[in-house]
Amino acid sequence: MSADRFWRYATLLPAILLFVALTILPLANLFALSFNDVEWLNRTPVWNWVGISNYLELPEDNLLRAGLLNTVIFAVAAVALQMLIGFVLALLTTQITRGRSFYRTIFILPILVPGIIIGAIWKLMYSYDFGVLNQILDAFGISALDWLGSPNLALLSVIIVDVWHWTPFCFLLLLAGLESLPDDIFEAARIDGATGWQILRDITLPLMMPAIIVTFVFRMILAFKVFDEIYLLTGGGPGTATEVISFTIYRRFFTEDQSGYGAAMSIAVIAIIAAMIIIATRATAGRGSKT
Amino acid sequence: MLFRNKFARYALQSTVALAALTGSALGPAVAADQAPITIVINQSPWFAGFQAVVEKYEEETGNTVELDVNPFAGSLEKQRTAVRSDESPFDLVIMNAGFFTEFYTGGFLDPLNAIDPDFKLSDDIYTFDDSVCWDADAGRITCKSGELMSVPVNPNILILHYRSDLYQEHNLTVPKTWDELLENAKVLKSKNMYGISQRGQRGAFDVTYDVFPYIWAYGGGIIDQQDDGSYRISINSPETQAGMEMYLKLAEEVGHPSTAGQTQTNVIQNMATGRAAHIDSVLAPGLFDNPDKSAVVGKIDYAAPPGSAEHDFATPLGHWLAGVPKNVPDANKKAALAFLTWFQTDEAQRAYAEAGSAPVSRAVLTSEMADTQEYRWMKALADALPNARLTFTIPEASQLLAVTELRFNQAIGEEMPLNEALNTAAAEIAKVLEDAGYKYQKLDDLN
Repeated sequence: MSADRFWRYATLLPAILLFVALTILPLANLFALSFNDVEWLNRTPVWNWVGISNYLELPEDNLLRAGLLNTVIFAVAAVALQMLIGFVLALLTTQITRGRSFYRTIFILPILVPGIIIGAIWKLMYSYDFGVLNQILDAFGISALDWLGSPNLALLSVIIVDVWHWTPFCFLLLLAGLESLPDDIFEAARIDGATGWQILRDITLPLMMPAIIVTFVFRMILAFKVFDEIYLLTGGGPGTATEVISFTIYRRFFTEDQSGYGAAMSIAVIAIIAAMIIIATRATAGRGSKT
Repeated sequence: MLFRNKFARYALQSTVALAALTGSALGPAVAADQAPITIVINQSPWFAGFQAVVEKYEEETGNTVELDVNPFAGSLEKQRTAVRSDESPFDLVIMNAGFFTEFYTGGFLDPLNAIDPDFKLSDDIYTFDDSVCWDADAGRITCKSGELMSVPVNPNILILHYRSDLYQEHNLTVPKTWDELLENAKVLKSKNMYGISQRGQRGAFDVTYDVFPYIWAYGGGIIDQQDDGSYRISINSPETQAGMEMYLKLAEEVGHPSTAGQTQTNVIQNMATGRAAHIDSVLAPGLFDNPDKSAVVGKIDYAAPPGSAEHDFATPLGHWLAGVPKNVPDANKKAALAFLTWFQTDEAQRAYAEAGSAPVSRAVLTSEMADTQEYRWMKALADALPNARLTFTIPEASQLLAVTELRFNQAIGEEMPLNEALNTAAAEIAKVLEDAGYKYQKLDDLN
């Protein structure tokens, strides 16, 4: 091995060791745990080998099934709305010549609010008896809605909170993308007589596609891991109406203390998210090379 | 030079002198004779009273007690992590009635007499169905052969709260059965008032806890231990179904439109704001008679929960027990025991009640305090405690609760028909018992 090659590996070694210690080892431990059931006898954990039975039970788990379905609905609906609103706000902000930083600050405020405060704010607003939303409905003579207690409405209510909370994230990334686009192309299009809609459809959107995809992927990954909003607003209920995967894992792993089964569930979810990242990375790489 | 001007120096000197004076005036009158301890506890309606008693203990003894306060489920998780570690950061764990068994069976707690052979549970303190004792060899909760493992710190049970002013106005009598309560609630229900507010939300031990008085009143249950040690799954019995039908009838006819989404906080809030005529809830007397927090000061009275024409009332034990983890230093174990010894005294129990929480001393609950308007809730509590029962006594309680919380909530929220919810719950409970190696008996499905 040449000295140059040796130093290349030697300088990489600390990063590799750190990666192994902080990522690979915990994952390996989780993976090993998923083939066991753990019980505590006289303050000692006893690992009982159960093979793949924890994995075989996953498809039968009604909470996991409900959690998967709700997570997909939640992620797709919330992220689609956030992308749309975030993009429109970013476009509008680029048109503003005076006070742009003021609007930018206003638009990103929700993302700065801690999750626990968001939970408190919206729980109060959604309250059946004392919430401002039902008071507004009442002022218009409309019957109060059971925002968080109705199986038909609860998931939508949580999606609204998530859109309010995370749209600024999409707004910020997309605004950065819009501001980095070269002005000369737009100027040329205008001189050639292109309309605003044509500029948006044929120039802005294609040029923005890498930024849109990256933002979409980031948000999808985060939406897939949603926990705090559900925990604070509905606790997964009513019934399974707002059960999501992260909350199911939390229940099985921590509240019910089924660490082996919870580990199997965690590994399955990690695999799903990893697949999403791989697909998204490939899609982004393809788009990036075209632009 | 540290101080660049005279003002800064004088300001600092004055502050130090003031702090010293204040410290000597407000600090403990006696020197500490025990190691500082930390207690992990949940944030419940009775917490304020416990906090006040802890402050009194610190003031009287000079010993230091730190409280680590958490939400219900968070407290359980912190306790589990603590007792399983090399050294617990908590010297006392405050365990709920639903989960204490797993701490006993796992061998996480020291028997209190192993710490101090002379330690004794005062005769005045309730043992709550012997839940303070554990026979490790037999694997049973019993004070006949078991060792003393914990000291009760709160007698949480469900108590009927009703609007005494409206009862007087409408000439109603305190209900002895759920049917009578329904009739009273119909009279009191109006546009701005629910006849009853019931907790129906799914949580760690929420809706399950609150439906027990209904299903027990009709002879039902969830799982019942048999004489031979096996279990009978009774959640899909006709009796449990009858109890749940009464719960749903109240919810539908006189209850809150969003019963499936109601938490304990919501229920208590509805009573405190004058929006509910009845609640069956744990006690929070300090709240209802506090003019800063309540619109119904002096208008709430208390009684044992209703039963049915066939069965006497029964109320679930949701009490809290203080245990000492094995994995804390000996000095801290002794300090924890010193606190528990003091906590059992008549003086401490009275102070606990005065601070707005229910005491665990029979002597205080039946003392002259109970005859006063301020402590009128004591009589109802003392009346109901003899009919209070333990709910789950196996370490897999948290898995059983995951089943029942979901299925009861689905039935209440009309996401699933009642009989289907109960049959599904029975099958899921059978699987938990099967996996854990218990002998059990399951009933045929309800039609």
